[in-house]
Formats: sequence, structure tokens, C-alpha cells
Amino acid sequence: MIRLDDDHLPWRDGMTVADLLALVPDGHQYAVIKVNGRYVSRPVFKKYMIPDNAEIRLIPMIAGG
Amino acid sequence: MKALNLNQIKTLEYKRPEIDRGYANQTLHVNVSNADMAIKPVSEEMKRTFVGGKGFDLWLLWQAVSAETGWQDPENTICIASGPMGGTPSYPGSGKSIVTALSPLTGSVIDSNVGGYFGPYLKFSGFDAMEIQGNADTEVVIYIDGVSEKVSIYEAKDLPADSYGTSTMLSRHFGGDKPRGVSVVSTGSGAKHTLMGCLNFTWYDPKRKHVRYKQAGRGGLGTVFAHKNVKAIVARWENVTMDGNRPADKDTLKTVAKCYSKEIVTLDPKQNEMAKVGTTHLVPIMNDFDLLPTHNFKFGQHKMAGLIGKEAYKDIFDPGFDGCWMGCTVACSHGIKNFIPLTGPYKGQTVFVDGPEYETIAGCGSNLGIFDPFTIAELNFYCDAYGMDTISVGTSIGFVMECFENGVIDKTHTGGMDIKFGNRDAALELVHQMGRGEGFGAIVGQGVRKMKSEFVSRYHADAAFLNDIGMESKGLEFSEYMTKESLAQQGGYGMALKGPQHDEAWLIFLDMVHNYMPTFEQKAEALHWFPMFRTWFSLCGLCKLPWNDIVPEDNKDTEEPAKVMKHVSWYAQYFSAVTGRKAKPDDLIAISEKVYNFQRIFNLKMGFGKRSQDVIPYRAMGPVTEEEYESRQERYDGQLTDEHGVDIEGKSTAEKVATLRKLREEKYETLKDAVYARRGWSPDGIPTLKTVKRLGIDFPDVVELLAQNGVTE
Repeated sequence: MIRLDDDHLPWRDGMTVADLLALVPDGHQYAVIKVNGRYVSRPVFKKYMIPDNAEIRLIPMIAGG
Repeated sequence: MKALNLNQIKTLEYKRPEIDRGYANQTLHVNVSNADMAIKPVSEEMKRTFVGGKGFDLWLLWQAVSAETGWQDPENTICIASGPMGGTPSYPGSGKSIVTALSPLTGSVIDSNVGGYFGPYLKFSGFDAMEIQGNADTEVVIYIDGVSEKVSIYEAKDLPADSYGTSTMLSRHFGGDKPRGVSVVSTGSGAKHTLMGCLNFTWYDPKRKHVRYKQAGRGGLGTVFAHKNVKAIVARWENVTMDGNRPADKDTLKTVAKCYSKEIVTLDPKQNEMAKVGTTHLVPIMNDFDLLPTHNFKFGQHKMAGLIGKEAYKDIFDPGFDGCWMGCTVACSHGIKNFIPLTGPYKGQTVFVDGPEYETIAGCGSNLGIFDPFTIAELNFYCDAYGMDTISVGTSIGFVMECFENGVIDKTHTGGMDIKFGNRDAALELVHQMGRGEGFGAIVGQGVRKMKSEFVSRYHADAAFLNDIGMESKGLEFSEYMTKESLAQQGGYGMALKGPQHDEAWLIFLDMVHNYMPTFEQKAEALHWFPMFRTWFSLCGLCKLPWNDIVPEDNKDTEEPAKVMKHVSWYAQYFSAVTGRKAKPDDLIAISEKVYNFQRIFNLKMGFGKRSQDVIPYRAMGPVTEEEYESRQERYDGQLTDEHGVDIEGKSTAEKVATLRKLREEKYETLKDAVYARRGWSPDGIPTLKTVKRLGIDFPDVVELLAQNGVTE
């Protein structure tokens, strides 16, 4: 099981951030997320493995600077 | 510690006006050449047109200088202002001061938005803005005591050379047992010896019981300050409340402030954690997207970048409340306690470092090939103490490091220093030399533009190469973002009024990552709306960060997520509640447009402000060298073939570099056309007569200036 913001989702072995975002409405909009407090950015979404029991935060970072 | 040696020269006693709807309705004029002081009224028209903050500064500066005025002339005037909402506690980011003057680096107007308590204290003491004109014969301290209703000028002797020592002594002297009631503006020896001096504005940290600092960094404002022989300005005020600005509608103000503050407290821990790590969260993100300047903006990524980002500094920063204004829940001004410098005049002593923030980490870290968080902290500390802008320092040292590695300069020029990328000792030594005005550091302190010219004339360097790699535009060094893959951000830097600083437009993510603006027209629209709205913060005495660094959870579902319209709407309510001037979100853009165009025309007055000045080095647009091209060959080859239909079969890297360059430079010029048209400017980048009339800034001298430049319609 993983926690995504305030929801819980099933975890599976080998699940990547890209896999997770495919399950999220408008998941394609996210360029950065936090996995257990660490930033993971789009360039590595396809290879970053999510560990079981991970806490995920979707970061709506669009216009900072 | 030595006793203070202050000799009172002159005192002006005045009756402090009641603040009304965010305004004191008067400004303070100080001429340090002859110790003249005067109080000037603020008219309703001045408020309606220029609002406050940077708007007031620009209007005062416009009247103070002529087209012939140089930055060293006594007529050059440092203007400092808050804004109508400045000094509101509880509404996040409401304590800013905005500083303007003619810049030693650019020769035109520079503006800088800075935290600390000074701007609000100045206003509550009775002045919406202050002007410092003239050049004093001896070092002076200006003391604005809003409690006793006096402004005094002191001759100052024997104050420390560095800004930290000066601010600490003056805070103790004037603050007494209420140190939170004073704020000091000062600079240090580096501001005297370089053209990139900054101003340190203080706020008092009651938990840690010492003075903290924020910097008006850009464009050499500290250098102007030092040249005027102003050692410091001190403001004193003691009673900050929600009633301080006597808002037109206090109930609405309280409601909207509470909503905003609560949202930040709720969402910041989920999003960027700025209350814990400041802007250091940007380091790994910029690195992942190939946007973190490394080795003089050659590349956007480095395998060691993880050592200098959020993960490093979250353990190094001293935890606690770090708001540079009272009640700000973003509270991003973090620092390092018990830091012991390994070099320089504070070597071996225990100090507190205010920072570093993202810009300093990138400028004095990755851009120099330095990936040690403690070296960056030490560079940060000394830049502040010497009164130098960490961005210009970092970008200038990056430039000389690349020059050194390319044989443009060698050890005979650097005093024997091996200034290759990654040499921490050399970077620190250069900063110390800049602080003392000695050695090769004294040359670096002149900034990239002057160094380019110097290296060509004295060392016969290749001017074209230096122009390609020297990261300056309009004479100002670039702030720390890679723009090669974002045309919109190239425009954001190249068409910025003061030079390449990201506070006008930071469009990299919107453009490159999210592809929100694929067409020239969409980019031009963004390069209209965002600079206008970002300008608005500096008119009102506000910080930009709360607007879009923490965003509502449902923001992505809104029509224009990039604008974070829920927050814009709150800002409109905030503005209306304080000033009584009813405003909707679109009105904020219209308000800013007046000042934005006025500043462009001010540039024109100073001999800038035309298309030919909106240029950026090719390093900001694409790969200058074959090494850069080949490092990202798949990307560049793909762009040539897929986007532009170029047959690259059999072409050498040099040929592909040249082809890509031609295409990218053409795109940038097309973007300029689109942006100028959207802003209501001529093809030469000058606001048209129609535009200035629409905006109500068609003052006789503005119209005459436009006519002199061939703009009559």
C-alpha cells in the first residue's frame, strides 16, 4: 500500500512513478513529486521505483522562481 | 567592541503624520553633500499612477537625474520605499522594501526588492519613500527615529569596514533594550571596491537574539551607497499592528490575511517546505531538468548537485522561525548557526550565516564547479559581510574560471592563482580580494561586461568568444537559471527592464517543462502578463513568493493554472482593503503597466531601452562550443532534424553548432517582435505614444523624449 496525498493506493513490485501517475487523474501535469520527502522529477519518472509504504506528494510546481 | 563615535551634524524635527490607507502621504529627501533634509508631499495623482514602492522610487529618481547623470554623480539618488501594504503583519510577505538608483553596472535604473524591517519602519515613521542624494565628504549615518519624530545625520568614525559589524553596533546603539525596534541598511568594503555592491537590510531575530540580514543585491546599489559615503541608515519604530496602515476595510483585510496565512501553513509542508528549507528545494529540481547552471552556464546538470541542495541544507540550517517580516508564514530566510569560516577576517570565529538561498548555491556553487555546502556558506557569508551581490559575484567568477580554462587568462594575470572550475580556495580568495579591492579580485569586481572589454583590449582575447560566454545583458550578470531550452525565458531575461534577473519573468517551467506556450503569441502574452503582475508586488511592498511558490491544491483544475488566480484574487482584495481603491485581478495588471512602461522609458532617457539593448549572450540561447553540443548531441540533432527539417548527414559538429545558432537567434528576434507588439511598443522596443496615452503616463517630458527617439504615434 502507498499513500498518495490523502488517499491510499495498492502498491506492486516494480511500480515506477510513471506507473503511479498513469493512475492519477491529470497525472501527466506533474513535473515533480515527493516520495518519502525526496523530490523526484519527470526525467526520472520512468525509472524511479516506488517502495512499498511510500508517502507520495504531488507537487503542483509550475511557476516559482 | 569599540565605542561608537557618532557626531551629530544636523537634525530635522517633524510631526509624524497618521498613516492613512497605507500611505504616510509624504517622502523624505536627504542630501548628504550638505546635510539638507526636506519633506515632500505625495499627491493623489502620484499614488494613482505610481502606487508606491518601486513606482514612487522611479518617479523620484526620474526627477532627480538627467540623461547625462552618471552613477557616481551626486545627483544619482538612492530611493527606498515600502508600499501601501508594506508593514501589514499576518499577510505573508508584506515587509518588503524596494530600492532604486542608477546602476554602476548598467548605467541605467536598477531596482531591488528586499526583506527586513526597514521599509515598513520608514513608512510608520512618516515616509512612504526616502531619497538619498549627494556625496558626503566623510562617512555618515542617517537615523530616522519615528518614535521621537526626528531625522538626524551623524558623522560616523571608526565603524567596522564590514556590513555585519556595522549593523550589529548600530542596532545595539539605537535599539537599546528594544533591538527589534530598529532596522539598519548598510554595506561593506566590497561595495566600495567593486561595482556589484549590495545593501544589507536587517531584521531582529528575537529567538536567536541577534540581527539578521536580507540583501538588496542586484545592480550595485551598495556601490552607490558606499560612494555617497553613507555608512548606514537606521529606522526606528516600535509598534506594528494590523491597524498600522489604517486600512480602509480592516475586516476584509483580516479575513483575507487569515485565509492566505492558513493556506500556506497547510500546504507548504506538503509542497516545497520553504519554512524548513527555503529555496534550496530548487537545486535538485533544476538539476534534474538540466536547468542548474554549472561551469559558467555551460551545462545544466552535474552528478554532484545532490550535495548542495535541500537534502544537505535541511540538516545544516538552524531550525526555527525565519520570517524576514513579522507574521510571514512562508518564513524562508534560513541560516546556519555556529559556522566557523576557514578563511578571511572572521577565520576561526563563530558566526551566523544568513542563507544560502537557491541563487547563491547555484551562483557560488554549481556555476563554479563547487559542490561543498560549507564553502558555499562561507562565500555567502563573506559576500554579505563585504556587501557584494552573490549573483554577480558567482556569475563573474564563473566567467573568469572559463576564461582561465580556455587560456584567455593565465596565472600571470591572476596573481598566481589557478582559477579552474571547482577550486574552492581560489573562489574564496577572489572574494576576499574583491572585499579589499586588491589583486585579480579587483578586476573581477568590475563585472562581466567590463572584464570582457578589458580582456580583449589588454590580453587580445577573442571578443566574439567572450561575448558568447560572458553571462551579462545590459551590463548586469545573469541570475542562476539555464535558458538554452526555453525561448520564453530567454525573452524573460533579455527583455527584462533592468537586465537578466528572474524577478520579472520566470517562465522556464511553464514553457519548457509544461509547454503551456508553444506559439510566439502565447509566449508574448506570458511575457506581458507575468512581468506586469510580478512588478505589482514591488509597487505594494510585497514579496512574490507566497503567490506561486505555494499553490492551492485545486489550482491545476483552474482555467489558467500558471497564474494562480485564486491568489491573484486575494491580492486584489488585499489591495482594495488597505487602500480603499477597488480593484479586481485585471486591474492589478493595468496598474503595473503604467510603472513598467515608465521604467522602460526611463531606460530610454538614460540611453538604453531599445531593441539593440535587449540582447543576450549566445550561451543563454544554445551551445557555444562543440563540447556543449556534443554533451547533448541527441537533443540538438533531434531539434535540427525534427523541428527544423535540417539534413545533418555528414555535417561536422561545428557546422551543426552554426546551423542551430542561426535558427535560435532568428527565433529570439521573432519573439522580440511578438513581445513588443503585445506590450504596445514600436518594433524598436519603445512604448508608442498611443500606449503612454492609454496608460496616462504621457507627461510632457515623456512625450518629448519619445519624439526625440522618433516615436510620435
